[in-house]
Amino acid sequence: MSDALHRPRSYRPGEWYAVLAPSFVVAVAPSASSRVAGLWELVDGGASADDVLDALVSAGLRQVAGFVLVSESDGLTRAIVRGDVTCSLTTAAETVELEGAAATTWVERSLPGVEAVSVRVVAAADPHESEAVDLVIGEGLVRVARLDDPPRAAQPTATQPPPHLPPPPAGPPPTSPPPTSPPPTSPPPTGPPPTSPPPSSPPPSSPPAAPAPVEPSPMDDASDTARTAAPSPGHDHDGLTRSGSWDAAAFAGPPGIPGQAFAPDVVATPVAVLHFSHGESVEVDRLVLVGRAPEARRFTASEQPRLVTVTSPHHEISSTHLEIRPGSGADHGTAVVTDLGSTNGTVLVQPGLPSEALQPGIPVQLIPGALLDLGDGVSIQVMNP
Amino acid sequence: MKQVELHHGAASDVGRVREINEDAFLAAPPVFVVADGMGGHDGGDVASQIVVEEFARLADQGYDPARGAEEVARTFDECQRRIERFGLEQRAAGAGASFHSGTTAVVALLVEESGQPKWLLANLGDSRIYRFVEGALEQVSVDHSVVQELVDAGAITEADAAHHPERHVVTRALGGLDPVEADYFLLPLPAAERLVLCSDGVSGMIDDLEIGAILARTADPRDAADQVVAAAVAAGGRDNATAVVIDVVGLAPDHPYDSERQRESLEQKLGALP
Repeated sequence: MSDALHRPRSYRPGEWYAVLAPSFVVAVAPSASSRVAGLWELVDGGASADDVLDALVSAGLRQVAGFVLVSESDGLTRAIVRGDVTCSLTTAAETVELEGAAATTWVERSLPGVEAVSVRVVAAADPHESEAVDLVIGEGLVRVARLDDPPRAAQPTATQPPPHLPPPPAGPPPTSPPPTSPPPTSPPPTGPPPTSPPPSSPPPSSPPAAPAPVEPSPMDDASDTARTAAPSPGHDHDGLTRSGSWDAAAFAGPPGIPGQAFAPDVVATPVAVLHFSHGESVEVDRLVLVGRAPEARRFTASEQPRLVTVTSPHHEISSTHLEIRPGSGADHGTAVVTDLGSTNGTVLVQPGLPSEALQPGIPVQLIPGALLDLGDGVSIQVMNP
Repeated sequence: MKQVELHHGAASDVGRVREINEDAFLAAPPVFVVADGMGGHDGGDVASQIVVEEFARLADQGYDPARGAEEVARTFDECQRRIERFGLEQRAAGAGASFHSGTTAVVALLVEESGQPKWLLANLGDSRIYRFVEGALEQVSVDHSVVQELVDAGAITEADAAHHPERHVVTRALGGLDPVEADYFLLPLPAAERLVLCSDGVSGMIDDLEIGAILARTADPRDAADQVVAAAVAAGGRDNATAVVIDVVGLAPDHPYDSERQRESLEQKLGALP
């Protein structure tokens, strides 16, 4: 899931539930909240947009007062809109507005070459609209009032190079016509937004900080796009938010499974106890190496492995035969065995499973009760600690 | 700890090119060290000497054989502090901002693990630890060098590594800006009847086959160390060459039960075979 943020979109917090998948977005009205978990499960399981649509309307259309489904495949963008929500699809040539309230069933439209998608929930005038913040999200489940793809903050820099990129701060502000020409994604002739203060505005590097407060209605498209063009510092709620394109490196964490601690080589509590056939018992709280004359290689001072020497009069057991270590990631909390390329191999019998010969170098998770046979009558019983 | 008898030999040579010997070694059973200093006069030779002094103190004062890796790590930390302090003093005394003093280190000492004596080996830098078992030489330590990282990454082969222009660039050493962590190795004694610690003035001048050949024909570890160093100098001696050879004496060889041979001898006894 490392590319979960690969396709960023921006959203504004609100009432609707939006599920964002790599290739499509589905949002449902708050009244259908009971369906949301199911939708997420579908999407997380890799379902297609059509599967999701099936699931949405399976219980009858009347059960879903409002939803919007925007999907993209082969360059064709399809939007299905129902209820109090509008969706605008912007191509290079035009902007198509779809209003769900205009139909009793739903409104559907497919367009090629769509550059930007914006979904807005039609709601009673929101007093906090002026302070609303556009947040960036990759895939996931969020409650939204509007959704934009590509993200609003990134739009100016991402989609339109020359005319809009502000010259270095030295540029004289007053002579330039309207400092915030609408981005090319919206039809130019709509004219300069009346709300943006042209000549008295600060230098273009920090464009109109104030259009939002004077904006008459949240649905006024012209001023909306004008604001899109101006990721203003006024929206910076914590002083750390960076507008413009983001830096993926900021999200680069250590390798491993997100949300799960990287398993240390030495764990605090043993994950298993090994009972050897010669009577010895060894706890697996670190790497355990088992063999006729085991050797440990390249470890650090704080993570010295445990070496268990077993006798092998017939030399059926290799000098360093196998290793057992606390598992990491999906194997967290269990012991994992790996045959280290032993000459005669290792047989593993797990409870309820047929016996298997370990493949050299391939780790296998050990279930409590598992029995490892190394040859020469040496076996290891794996038990809970 | 069970008494283990060790025989050892050590030799060091300035080589044919360098003016001073920045290598240093310690042979104080059961602790053995080779350190290859870097930084020129009053730099590298002091750094490598600091490592030898600190490990001599460890050998002198004794250490807990069950906590060998921790003892070595602590000693490395002390070496690092002393080398840093020495560098500060030198720069304060006007040695210039470019003054640098550092050293590699390879250490072998006897420890106890699961009640058995074992070799604990530690490595920082591109000095090497080899073991010689059953007539074959095998490098145990893994160099902390640019070329080794290239080899590990598959960018060059081991054969290329010997001629790579950056083969002398180490990636870990004592005296660097950041504290470094050594690699440790734990070997049962029979797996390393003969150990060789050497600086890159040996391993860079003669290849492993030649080192192995010398070790195979030289029973006495003192002669073996002398001959390995002499061969490195004879091969060009472009760097200080140092070797320490340690033999574990009195190990009962672990002969496998050989049913095949037994049957043959029975047949021979019965006269079935000539």
